Amino acid sequence: MLTVYRSTLGSMSLVDSLADAATLPDDSQRWVDRLTAEGSTREQALTELHALLLKAARFEVSRRRGMVRGGDLDDLALQAADDALVAILRRLGDFEGRSRFTTWAYKFALLEAAVKVRQLAWQNRELPMEPEGLERVGGTAAAGPDAELLQATLACLDELTPRQRDVLVALAINGVPIDVLADSLGATRGALYKTLHDARRALRARLAERGYRPDDVEGGDRD
Amino acid sequence: MTDPLARLLGPSGPDVGCDVCFQLLDRYVELELAGRLAELPQAAALETHFAGCPACREEYESLRDLVAGP
Repeated sequence: MLTVYRSTLGSMSLVDSLADAATLPDDSQRWVDRLTAEGSTREQALTELHALLLKAARFEVSRRRGMVRGGDLDDLALQAADDALVAILRRLGDFEGRSRFTTWAYKFALLEAAVKVRQLAWQNRELPMEPEGLERVGGTAAAGPDAELLQATLACLDELTPRQRDVLVALAINGVPIDVLADSLGATRGALYKTLHDARRALRARLAERGYRPDDVEGGDRD
Repeated sequence: MTDPLARLLGPSGPDVGCDVCFQLLDRYVELELAGRLAELPQAAALETHFAGCPACREEYESLRDLVAGP
């Protein structure tokens, strides 16, 4: 396993770029030095880093355990740690020491684990792209304080591009996780979020044209 | 995820998007835990993104809780 990782980080250009980086806090510098060293020093650093990543991945999997039925979650955490280690070695030159190295590394493991749990939770499920959820939303709108604005918003959905509408309905109404949808559509998460963002901006603009004040709405997905 | 109108319209402020969110996440968490978020110019745009992107918000909360410890 570690041999594979070594091949990811063998270039002098990466080592040179790290040497040129701003001075890092001692512990972070030690991580970078050991991960760019040769031989047993590097092997030991990789082993220690993998253990940290596995701890983070298990932490994330444990938090999301309720999302999935069945599946080998410890194996999923191990896969997440493996993938995170590869990603970290590929992007080690991006580490600028603006946080501790371990905090920077943890986020890769958490991302890999979270994505894998969401994908496991949605595997073999048809992704709801059609607006069956809209009927539910429309039905609950009658009693809410923003009922008129919500009905106007739903009516404006037809003025979005088909792609914007599909993405908005799937993510915001039907609750499909963004990385699951991105994987299904062959898009990146960042690109899909931009589509979502553009759709929301277009909705707000259409509502403003009709005399509504959507900027008064504290939008978002917070509970 | 209680308000369908809020989910449809999303947050209205400047938003960094998922890629920049991931780049800044570790810095944001450490500064937040240190009570020094004012040092991060993009903090407000990150918070807007957390409001509009449940996946990034979940990962932020996980990193914050992992780093903060028990």
